[in-house]
This record gives sequence, C-alpha cells and structure tokens, in this order.
Amino acid sequence: MPTGAHASLDSATVAELRAILGDDAIVSRPTELKVYECDGWTIEKNAPELLLRPRSAAEISAVLKLLDRRAIAFVPRGAGTGLSGGCLPVGAPVMICTSRLNRILAIDYANRRVEVESGVVNLHVSNAVRGRGFFYAPDPSSQMACTIGGNIAENSGGPHTLKYGVTTNHVLGLEIVLPDGEIAELGGPTEERLGYDLVGAIVGAEGTAGIVTRATLRLTREPEARRTLLAIFADVEAATRAVSAIIASGVIPGAIEMMDQLIIEAVEAAFHAGLPRDAGAVLIIELDGIAAALDAEARAVGELARSSGAREVRFARDEAERATLWKARKRAFGAVGRLAPNYATQDGVVPRTRLPEILREIAQIARRHALRIGNVFHAGDGNIHPIVLYDERDPDETRRAIAAGREILRACVAMGGSLTGEHGIGVEKISEMPLIFSPDDLIVMSELRRVFDPAQRANPNKVIPAPGGCVEVAAPRRQAAL
Amino acid sequence: MASAPKSDSSPPVAQRPRARPLRDVVDYELLFDCVHCGLCLEACPTYVVTRAEMDSPRGRVYLMKALAEGALDLDADAVRHLDLCLECRGCETACPSGVRYGKLIERAREYVERNVRRPWRERIRNRLIAALFPYPARLRILLTPITAADRLGMRPLIRKLAPAAMRDWLDLIPPRAAPPPMVLAPPSAASAAAPAAVVHHGCVAKVLTNAENLNTEGALAAAGYRVARMGRTVCCGALDLHHGNFARAKQFARANIREFQRLGDAAILSAASGCAAAIAAYGDLLADDPEFAAPAREVSARVADLGTLMLARDYRFTREFRAAVTYHDSCHLAHGLGVREAPRQLLRAIPGVTLIELNEADLCCGSAGSYNLTERAMARELVRRKADNILATGADYVVLGNPGCELQIAAELRRRGAPVRVIHLADFLALAIRGANA
Ligand SMILES: Cc1cc2nc3c(=O)[nH]c(=O)nc-3n(C[C@H](O)[C@H](O)[C@H](O)COP(=O)(O)OP(=O)(O)OC[C@H]3O[C@@H](n4cnc5c(N)ncnc54)[C@H](O)[C@@H]3O)c2cc1C
Ligand code: SF4
Ligand code: SF4
Repeated sequence: MPTGAHASLDSATVAELRAILGDDAIVSRPTELKVYECDGWTIEKNAPELLLRPRSAAEISAVLKLLDRRAIAFVPRGAGTGLSGGCLPVGAPVMICTSRLNRILAIDYANRRVEVESGVVNLHVSNAVRGRGFFYAPDPSSQMACTIGGNIAENSGGPHTLKYGVTTNHVLGLEIVLPDGEIAELGGPTEERLGYDLVGAIVGAEGTAGIVTRATLRLTREPEARRTLLAIFADVEAATRAVSAIIASGVIPGAIEMMDQLIIEAVEAAFHAGLPRDAGAVLIIELDGIAAALDAEARAVGELARSSGAREVRFARDEAERATLWKARKRAFGAVGRLAPNYATQDGVVPRTRLPEILREIAQIARRHALRIGNVFHAGDGNIHPIVLYDERDPDETRRAIAAGREILRACVAMGGSLTGEHGIGVEKISEMPLIFSPDDLIVMSELRRVFDPAQRANPNKVIPAPGGCVEVAAPRRQAAL
Repeated sequence: MASAPKSDSSPPVAQRPRARPLRDVVDYELLFDCVHCGLCLEACPTYVVTRAEMDSPRGRVYLMKALAEGALDLDADAVRHLDLCLECRGCETACPSGVRYGKLIERAREYVERNVRRPWRERIRNRLIAALFPYPARLRILLTPITAADRLGMRPLIRKLAPAAMRDWLDLIPPRAAPPPMVLAPPSAASAAAPAAVVHHGCVAKVLTNAENLNTEGALAAAGYRVARMGRTVCCGALDLHHGNFARAKQFARANIREFQRLGDAAILSAASGCAAAIAAYGDLLADDPEFAAPAREVSARVADLGTLMLARDYRFTREFRAAVTYHDSCHLAHGLGVREAPRQLLRAIPGVTLIELNEADLCCGSAGSYNLTERAMARELVRRKADNILATGADYVVLGNPGCELQIAAELRRRGAPVRVIHLADFLALAIRGANA
C-alpha cells in the first residue's frame, strides 16, 4: 500500500501532546478509552490508544503538526453517531474529538448565514435562529446529537433533503486543519464560489482530508406554513406507488418518509404516536410554503395517495400532532432497539421507481438469512434504510446480519442505485466501493485525497479501498468485530 | 503495529473480597435496550459540561455493560464516572429506545458501594449524610448554631472563616432575612365526597422549607380536595437509593406504604419531586417482596402532582398577580414523572402572570438530592449555567417543583446578588391565591 509509513505512538509523543493540550484534554487510560471504541455502527469495535479533546483550531493545528513530524495517523470524531464506523480507529492510534469546539461564533441574519465551530450540534444551530424565523435545513434524524463537523464529513441529509438538499448545499465556507497542521480557509461567505469547488471536495470526505474546525452555513427561512399528513397503506407496494404519483404530479413536498410494519410496531411501542399497528406501511408527507396555496395542495396530495391505494389519509390538525408524527419518525431507529438487542442500519439508494422491487428483494434477503429487517426511509429520494435486527451475543446471527447488509447494497447497485445516501462509506462499505467505481475511479479519488493528505494519515483505511483489486481490507479493522 | 505504548492503566480501587460480578446485580437484559445511537448525549448535564463520552449516558451504560461482562475491572475511573451521574434521568426523556437508565444506575451504585472501599473522608461524609438527612429532629439540632449565628448577624463572618468546601454547604441554608413564604390557611374539613389527597412532608423539606408542604395542602384544599394527613412520616428512601443503600430504602418504603394504605385511595403528593418520584418507584423497588409487592404497586399508582390536580378541579384564580415568571423543570418531576405542561398551564391561568420560557429548562441545576454536597465542582458548574439562563429571561420569579432545586438555585442567585426570587410552585400559588400583600 502506497500510504506513507505510519509510526506508532510512543510515550515521548504523548508527553508532548500533554504539554500542548493540558491534562484534561488527554484521555489515555483503557477504562475511559473503552467508551470510544465504536460509534452507532457497533458491529466493529476498536478503541484508540489515545484520545485528544482540544478546544480550538489552534490546538488542533499544533497537535497535527506534531503528529505529522512523528508520522502518526489520527481519526477525527464528532458525536460518534455515525452509522458506518467512520470514526472507528483503523490503524490510527490517536483519536481527536471535536466535542469541545462547540461555539456558535456569529449569526448574520441579513445575509442569512451563521458561522459555527465544527463541534456544534446540528439542532443547536436551528435552535439559535428559530426565534427569528430561520432554520438550518439539513436535518438528520440524529440532529439532537450529531455535530456539524460530522454532517460535513458524511454530507448528511435528512427527511427534508428532498426539497432543501443535503449538507453540501448549505455549506458556504469552511476552515480545515490539514494533516500537516496548516490551517486552510476554503470557500467563503458569499454564495458564488470562484475557481474549483474545494469546499465540495471536503464535504463528504469522511475525515480523510483533515479536521474541519469551522463552517459558514446557509440559513433558510422557515416556511410560512406547513401541512403534514399521514397516509396509511395495506402494503409497501401501494405506498411506493403513491410516492411516485406525488412526485410525478409536480408537487415537491418538504419530505416524504416511509415506515413499514416492523417499524410501525417499534414506534408505537415507544411513543404511542397513534399509527395503526395493522397497516403494512405509512407515509408521512409534509408540504411547506405559502399558507394560501397549501390547503389545496394538501388535498390534492391526499387524493393522489388515496387513488394509489391508501386506505386512510389523516391530516395533522395542529403543531402538537405534527410534532408527534415527526418524533415517531425521527426516533424510529432508536425505537427499533426495543425489538432486538442490536441493529445495523443500512443506507442505500435506488431510483425512486424501483422502490417496490428493492423492498421485495430485501424481504427475500431477510427470509434467506432468517433475520428480521424493517424499513424506514426517505422515500421521496429513493434513499432506503433497511434496519437489520440481530443479537451480538449470537456470532452466527451477527455474521448473517453483515451478509444480509452486503446483499442489500449489491441489490441497490444492480438496480442502478448507490451504496450510500447519507451515512457514508466508513469501514462498513469500503469493500463494496469497487461495485460502483472502476479501479481508475478509485485511483482518481485517492489522488484527490493525496492533495490534502499526501501521507494518508487522516482517518486511514477509510472510504477508498486499498488498490490492487484487494477488496477485503485485512486486519486490523476486523480484529474486534466478532 | 510495533510496540504500542503502554497506556497508563486506571488506578485500582480498594475492593472488598469476593465481589459478585455486576451481571448478577443489574438487570443484565436491560443493558441491551441501549443501541448506542448517542441521541442522549446533549440531554445529559454532565456531558454538557465535560463533553466527554464517559460522562454521558451512552458511555455509562457502556461502562456498566463492560463491568457486567467482566471486560472491565471496577477501577477508579469506572467509579469516578458512575459517581458523577446526577441520576437526573434526562437521558430517559431523550432515549428513543426506552433505556431504563434510572433503574440501571441505582443497581450499579449499590454494586459500587458494596465492592469499593471509599477513602475515609468520603466514608465519613456519606455516613453523616445518611445519618442526618432522613431525620428531621437530628437536622434541626445540626442547624441550631447556624440559626443562632444568623440571629446575631454573624453568618458572613462564619462563611469567611469556613473552609471552601463548607462554604457551598452553608450557602444552601436560607438566611433568616429571606421573606417568610406566605402560608395558606390550614385546610378546613371538606365534604367526605370530595376527592382526597395527602402530602408526604419529607425530611429535609420539613425542616428547611415546611411552608411548601403547608401551601401544597392549602392549595389542594382551595381547589376542593379533602386533605388527609399521614400519622407517621418517614423518609421516602430516595437518598438511600441514590447511595446504593437498598436495605434501608426498602424499610422506609414499607413504613410509608402502610401509612398510605391507611388513608384509602388519597392521591399522594410531595412538595419534593424527588420524593414523589421515589414513591412512584416503590412498585419496582418492592417487586419481589411477597407481602408488599401489590400494595407498593397500588401506592405508586396513586402518586400525583400539584399542577395536574389543580387543573383537574378546574381551579380559577380570582385575583390578579402581576409578575414575569419563568419555570424550571425539576428533574424528577419532568424526567421522572413526566410532568411538564401542567405547572406551566397552571401558571398561565393566573391573571397577570407572564410566563417566559427558560432556556435549558429541564437541564439539572446540580442539586440532585445530596449531589451538591458530594460533587461540589460539577454541582457548582451546573447551577452557574442555570443562573445564567434564568437571568437571561429577565423574570422576577423562578417557579419550580422541588425544594432541593430551590435551595441550590437561590444560593447561586444570592451569591450573585441577583434580585430574582426562587419560589416553589405551592408558595407561588399561595401568593396568587391570597394576594401578594395579604
Ligand atoms: C439514530 C440515528 C439517526 C440518524 N439519521 C441520519 C439521517 O437521517 N441522515 C444522515 O445523513 N445521517 C443520519 N445518521 C448518521 C449520523 O448521525 C450522521 O452521519 C452524522 O453526520 C454524524 O455526525 P457525528 O458528529 O456523530 O460524527 P461522527 O460519527 O463522530 O463521525 C462521522 C465521520 O465524520 C468524521 N468527522 C467528524 N467530525 C469531523 C470534523 N470536524 N472534521 C473532519 N471529519 C470529521 C469522522 O472521522 C467520521 O468519519 C443517524 C444516526 C443515528 C444514530
Ligand atoms: S441520569 Fe442525568 S447525569 Fe446521569 S447519565 Fe442520565 S442524563 Fe446524565
Ligand atoms: S439514547 Fe438510549 S439507546 Fe441511544 S445511546 Fe442513549 S441510552 Fe443508548
């Protein structure tokens, strides 16, 4: 592998790091490091040898300069809500967590932008500007905990991505500490980017280009009004037909989310949101815009759902009912925890019209592996999230869960889709990258990466598989898995 | 990878011999409710302050799981991070997966207390707290010198001479100069047909903030409840549960249950939300007790809160009471009993009251039972944050539902010389019902 030689961590380096950051920013004892051994992707575990908790870009820069001199690799971590093992250390002894870079630096309503440190929690951005009628549009279901830095690294989306776009559409500029410690400013506060879109190259890089420390984000005006409806179907086929019908009609809803029977069951057990337990699938559809036009639009969408086979359409009567529906949706992943000890959330994309097919395929895969798989996803843009239930104490079931996940992704690709809609490649899907990209594509990508990180010490062994057709990355990444 | 550095190992703690594994102590299956999603992180006051995963609910559950599975020794780090938990249960509100964190940490605490020999200072402190707090008579004796000093105006001097560690404790005790809370007239005999309610007077509350008990009873009576009184009140047991002393907690619970049973089906209230939540958990605590399991469940189901009961009787305030008010969610009321809207709705129903929402209203103030006595630094940090948020509202009153929070927040505001008045919901209702100048 042509990555620069990576050195291991020695006590002299630890002492120097301690001198740079102070004791309270250094975590070095195994008991404390243990809680950092995985993120939301719990199938693989590996604790870092050292965790750093810096408070500023300047500190990160000093740290990276030292690590660069010593040729030591590192992995960035935000809130650790990632679902693809993005912040799992794989040959990176040092983990650098941004949770203390959590200040909102400046809010500029006139120009509709906000400047934040990268450890700021997604929801806190919207909370800070809501009083003035604004919000930060990308709304991953983990928004109450995940960080802007993590969102940038994964190019995260959310239910409202359908209308408003993903993270990259909302990042105007950013500050990044490159792996050699240099602090770079990319993009800027203006809408138009001149020259190459370097911000675009960093968004979605999954921490392989350095550590993002600050970002200028676009603020979006709260829509004047919203209408949220719940359409209830006997099966997922009918629900997906409705999705296609709605999009084909030219309406662009703020969000269209689907939950199948298994998820409905979990959500009802958790929140009593009033979803019918006997339904095969439900759609949550949200329209937003100018109040005057919305009622007619909502009625039309309700009709489309009915004519596609909805047995019932309910309209949220007030903000409280709307909140209940969204709570059920946004916390659906977690609610699944009530059905099984562990789950793995998959994240694939298919062309919207092929949703019925992929769902049938997923059901077959589940049967083949004797697993339960639920589906809750952003139906509007064909971004599926099959949730595979398993029990980590049963090694065979765990293996079957991993296999099922792989098969689902292959099926997505076979249908002309993609490996990830928003959760990233991480370690989870690195072996699947050659399914979509030719060796040449992958070489171009690693060349691009090398521009920022020539020695490949920023989050090594992620995203781009080692060249040479070797699909399976060997140890150390699978070491603690099963 | 060649010679990895030897990570420093966590300092061991003195363990008692023949420790049972945690697996036998916690309800092991409950640990698997946690799916490691991290949605609880920002709801946890200790994480909000330290921003470290081991001080988060997810981190603590992970530590408990590792302890239960023998993957980790009960070393000083594990004890430290479990100790720092406030048991505020903010994580339960946030968790989509229904993790019963309160239940898990209680058992884990018991396990720690049983297996770890604490340094002598902590041992003495914890024994003192356990020997004094549940017993009003003993507490009163302890307070006599301070009340005497207050009478002579010598508190500032004592405060100056006291070691820093004592100063925060001293500050908690309200000075005599504080305006005496309005006390509603004692409940008159309501008709036998009226619904009944009984207020558990608590132990610390009875000594330091008894007006809240009386005003809770007075407000209930004003709304048409028949107020019953307990014959003998013992501590609810919350303090012991927080310190892992299950045996005494169960004794207290049984005594209270007998007394509550004697009072028929009266709704059970406490001016201290921590006590109310503890009583609401008797069913769980005594689930395996052949004699008490059923009565404990029945008693737990009767626990109610002042706001909800007042609204249920559709109580109408007749006087105007002009005040800018903000409301702090006491942990065990909001996260423990799920009571959030009722007190707010009741406050809004008072003519003249403007309710201003408090930022981070349901983030713990650091009082947390005796936490502010055992984890001073964290408690101080949290109450500073709370006071900042309160001052940002510009309100004249902070209304809340727990005497512990009241003492804690009032002490901080006094230290800052801020004129905001911290007041229990029951005392505030007394002002609103009787008129501020009555
Ligand atoms: C319940 C649940 C629901 C979710 N729902 C969604 C959803 O709807 N949409 C969606 O897109 N995702 C979703 N996710 C996935 C996850 O929340 C997102 O990927 C999120 O952006 C990760 O943010 P984080 O701060 O937790 O990052 P982490 O998990 O800590 O890190 C993720 C990646 O980003 C890198 N990274 C973190 N910070 C930085 C930085 N400052 N600079 C450079 N690299 C960095 C890490 O190295 C890692 O590769 C969900 C997760 C959960 C648990
Ligand atoms: S009980 Fe409170 S302090 Fe303890 S983990 Fe939960 S939220 Fe954090
Ligand atoms: S929110 Fe619940 S399930 Fe998720 S990490 Fe926290 S305790 Fe575990």
